[in-house]
Amino acid sequence: MKKRIISFLLVLTMLMSAVAMASCSNNGEGSNEGGNNGGEQGSAKVPYDVPAEGYDGSAVTITFYHSMGAKLQGILDTYIPEFNKLYPNITVEHASQGDYDGVRDQIKTALTAGNQPNIAYCYPDHVALYNVAKAVVPLDNFIESTITVTDATGATSVLGLTAEQIADFIPGYYAEGTAFDEAGTMYTLPMSKSTEALYYNKTFFEQNNLKVPTTWEEMAQVCEQIKKIDPDCVPLGYDSEANWFITMCEQYGSDYTSLNEDAHFLFDNETNRSFVKMFHDWYVNGWVTTEEIYGSYTSGLFTATEGQKCYMVIGSTGGASYQQPPQVDGKALFETAMATPPQVNPAAPKVISQGPSLCIFKDSNPQEVVASWLFVKFLTTNVEFQAAFSMASGYAPVIKSVQQNPVYQQWLDAANGINNLTAMSVKLALSQADAYFVSPAFNGSSEARDQVGTLMQDALVSTDSNIESAIKKLFEKAVSECEYAAD
Amino acid sequence: MKKFLQKIKFEEWKAWIYLAPAVALLLVFTVWPIINTLRMAFWEDYSIMKELGGTLGNEFGLKNFEKVIKYRGFIDCLKNTMLLTVLTVPISTILALVIAVCLNAIKPLQRFLQTIFFLPYVTNSIAIGMVFEAMFNIVGFGTSNPSYGIINNILGVFGADPINWINAGSGYWQNIAVLTIYIVWNALPFKILILLGGLQSVNKQYYDAAKIDSTPRLRVFTKITVPLLSPMIAYVVITGFIGGFKEYSSIVGIFGDDMQAVGGESLNTMVGYIYDALGNQEGRASAAALILFAIIFVVTMINMYVSKKKTHY
Amino acid sequence: MADKKIMTTMHEKDMQKVTAAQTVTKIIVQFLLYAFLCIMALIIVFPFYWMIISSLKSTVEYRLPIPTLFPQDIMWGNYIEAFTAANLGKLFMNTVYVGIVSTILSLVITVLSAFAFARLEFKGKNALFAGLLATMMIPGELFTITNYVTVTKFGWLDSFTVLIVPFLVSVFYIYLLRQNFLQIPNELYLAAKVDGTSDLKYLWKVMIPLSLPNLISITILKMMGAWNSYVWPRLVTSTDDYRLITNGLRDAFTDMSGQANIPVQMAAVTVVSIPLFLVFIFLRKYIMKGVSRSGIKG
Repeated sequence: MKKRIISFLLVLTMLMSAVAMASCSNNGEGSNEGGNNGGEQGSAKVPYDVPAEGYDGSAVTITFYHSMGAKLQGILDTYIPEFNKLYPNITVEHASQGDYDGVRDQIKTALTAGNQPNIAYCYPDHVALYNVAKAVVPLDNFIESTITVTDATGATSVLGLTAEQIADFIPGYYAEGTAFDEAGTMYTLPMSKSTEALYYNKTFFEQNNLKVPTTWEEMAQVCEQIKKIDPDCVPLGYDSEANWFITMCEQYGSDYTSLNEDAHFLFDNETNRSFVKMFHDWYVNGWVTTEEIYGSYTSGLFTATEGQKCYMVIGSTGGASYQQPPQVDGKALFETAMATPPQVNPAAPKVISQGPSLCIFKDSNPQEVVASWLFVKFLTTNVEFQAAFSMASGYAPVIKSVQQNPVYQQWLDAANGINNLTAMSVKLALSQADAYFVSPAFNGSSEARDQVGTLMQDALVSTDSNIESAIKKLFEKAVSECEYAAD
Repeated sequence: MKKFLQKIKFEEWKAWIYLAPAVALLLVFTVWPIINTLRMAFWEDYSIMKELGGTLGNEFGLKNFEKVIKYRGFIDCLKNTMLLTVLTVPISTILALVIAVCLNAIKPLQRFLQTIFFLPYVTNSIAIGMVFEAMFNIVGFGTSNPSYGIINNILGVFGADPINWINAGSGYWQNIAVLTIYIVWNALPFKILILLGGLQSVNKQYYDAAKIDSTPRLRVFTKITVPLLSPMIAYVVITGFIGGFKEYSSIVGIFGDDMQAVGGESLNTMVGYIYDALGNQEGRASAAALILFAIIFVVTMINMYVSKKKTHY
Repeated sequence: MADKKIMTTMHEKDMQKVTAAQTVTKIIVQFLLYAFLCIMALIIVFPFYWMIISSLKSTVEYRLPIPTLFPQDIMWGNYIEAFTAANLGKLFMNTVYVGIVSTILSLVITVLSAFAFARLEFKGKNALFAGLLATMMIPGELFTITNYVTVTKFGWLDSFTVLIVPFLVSVFYIYLLRQNFLQIPNELYLAAKVDGTSDLKYLWKVMIPLSLPNLISITILKMMGAWNSYVWPRLVTSTDDYRLITNGLRDAFTDMSGQANIPVQMAAVTVVSIPLFLVFIFLRKYIMKGVSRSGIKG
């Protein structure tokens, strides 16, 4: 026994000395890189040296990591040949990494071995993480580039984006790319987006002469009315607590987070505590529930044919097909309709936007970076691809001109609240184009999102007799968890 | 030097040749990562992304350990880890032993039941997480007409009130009970397999002797079966403890990524903490892993000491 | 009720040998045994049942607040969709290949190491064994990143090597088999040595047959490892040429928001479970054989 422990200790000492050696060699590398990348702070946009010759036509292979299922990969596979008609020497390889978090984890690991892909699906939080490693290509110099590129058809175009192309992007989506520093360096281009919508049981609303709420006050009134009509129901289901909290901050104009490194987490303030308290009261009244609290999908409650029901759901437009009314003998039991979620100020609505953007990673071969830019530009500005991808995914396209595409128009026109909610949700997402906002993205912003979601849940169900102080404590805990994680 | 080489017995060379493939692979894929873990643990504020970005300092010390220990949830993580291990290892081992012995004692249906007890292996983990949630869930908890999961319905048959196992406002001990059941359930097939394998290689002569003496069943169990199986039992207990300390996937499976029931206490464990920190605080994750390692090491040494005294070869 | 019949036949057989009182106790004991085993079996089998019924539900029914215990409309279409959506055939063959090769290599390495630890004397044996056990205690998640860098430097990405080699040695299995080998009386080994039998022959003729049940347990665990591995294959491979089945099962059926079409997913899981299930039924016979053989030896 004793021998064993002693020998183990010996092994341990051995390992420790090896550590010392290993760390020495790594120190060298670390400081070198530091030298190369120094001096990037301040308020100027981060530059990137676009090769003066633009794309020189050389043969390169670029890889694209995403989280598309089999169906969407099929769409991508039909448009890569279209891209190759313009640039036959650029080979595009792509692979699904499961879900968004899978893409992030994969890339984080790949970066450690210098084996990252060229292009990836990303959320702002992910880019903030990659930015710590200074691995993402800032796009401003590409966007502004006036270098002429000649494609295989002989046509010429600029490497960057034209003023018309930039104006074609839905502004809220485009602005997401600038959420990373105070100078507004652009790191991503939007790929495909969803938003939140208020789904409501149109048949029930009409039968009972209810008004679709546009403000939170109206929402409270409608909940009260519905509760009188059907005392067993929970009038409103909200899918994502985190979205709820963040959207409320935006609507009230109260602080959530900031890019200021000394004070990232600002969400513990009077306004936020009071709206959390208000929704706690709603929960106590039996007006509202969330997926986590209810214990099942709120869409299940919305489409229930017997037992408890809800008549409104605020959820992602990406999940529209789940809010489809149930059918009995080929007849829908009710009709679903959609509206912009309630607002603090309906004159200046604010709704959250979600869904992937695209970022490009640095590479030792500048031609790979340029080729990646060309492909990203293709995916985000090609009307046919954006239309096909939107129809297959139920997510909104990121450029406005897609709506003029005849095939797409036809698809949108087929929208109805009985068996084609997907098109209806995209229509709504497009109509809210001016309402999207962007939260700051920094290393730790994903923790803030997780924490406010938990906070919202806990506050809603709290049974503490002194609810104000309980909510205060929850806020303090959330901030301290955020600060610990980002410290 | 020559003399030294001659001194080494032939058998030693042989042993090292047999061990060579295992040792070589372990050096590359286990020992080297451990060394790397040590490097990250003692490098202050280490994060891989920072190292790549060149913004990492050059300070070495115990700062990462300090951060871990001073974390407000650290004691909770430690407590949950300990509690789950202490609860699940004995329960699952005894249950698996009883099932294995019973399976070994019957003739008709033995093959069929063996096959059934194997089924969890071919059941994908995605399905397992879902079913457990559905079994304990209460849909619409706190509303006027909740619907109860299977477990509460069974309790209802015996006249008991429904218990809030995992939903909003559920208590800590209810949560722990669900986790214990889940972990035990998960561990059973493996343990049954090992113990049944052990039982079936036990020499039948011992039992024949007992039959002639018409020894009572319980005595056969405690005096023959358990001692003969002791190496296998030691194996499942020791590995069970190690596995228990590394528990976290079950909690994510039932309570989600944030590892707490709605409005409930944190159910996070040590490995859960490590997993969180691996996001972008690899230094802290490594330090926590070493702390966990120290705990498991001590417990395993105690286990080995006890089993050496009790194991009958 | 079939049980009762079987029990009565046993009852008749034993009639002449034992007294009536003993027979009654025996029946009660048998009944309790079966009752206990059947209850446990029901508990164990429930998720498997759940997997199958979920595979036959529509997405709407699957999302009902109160889950149904039997599908209202049986959706065979899920199975068709599962077959057409993903490249499951290729992924399945990859998994079988990786499973078989890694099991064989792993068994060889494990048997040799366990033999060295159980039967041979060498300096530092106990220290090395304790060291091995200690490596089990570090959460594996920490190894992933370092190992990824290592295999990248070896140039192993996108190959079967990278899926097999890093996981060939399992301290768990070496420990399990060592425990088993220690049970076999040392006299047998010494006698074999006197007879001039080589180690390998002794291993093959005596030790392996005697520990067959455990070797089969290891085989099953190893195969299941290939069957369930997800994170590592996704990390080190980028095409379906080398990815494994769980990658396909988890990733092929997700929509944009990352939600899986669970009924179709379950249908796919069920389909690929069937061969595994058959493999077990086949292997179970070998467990029995191992048992009878060890009975003869002793």
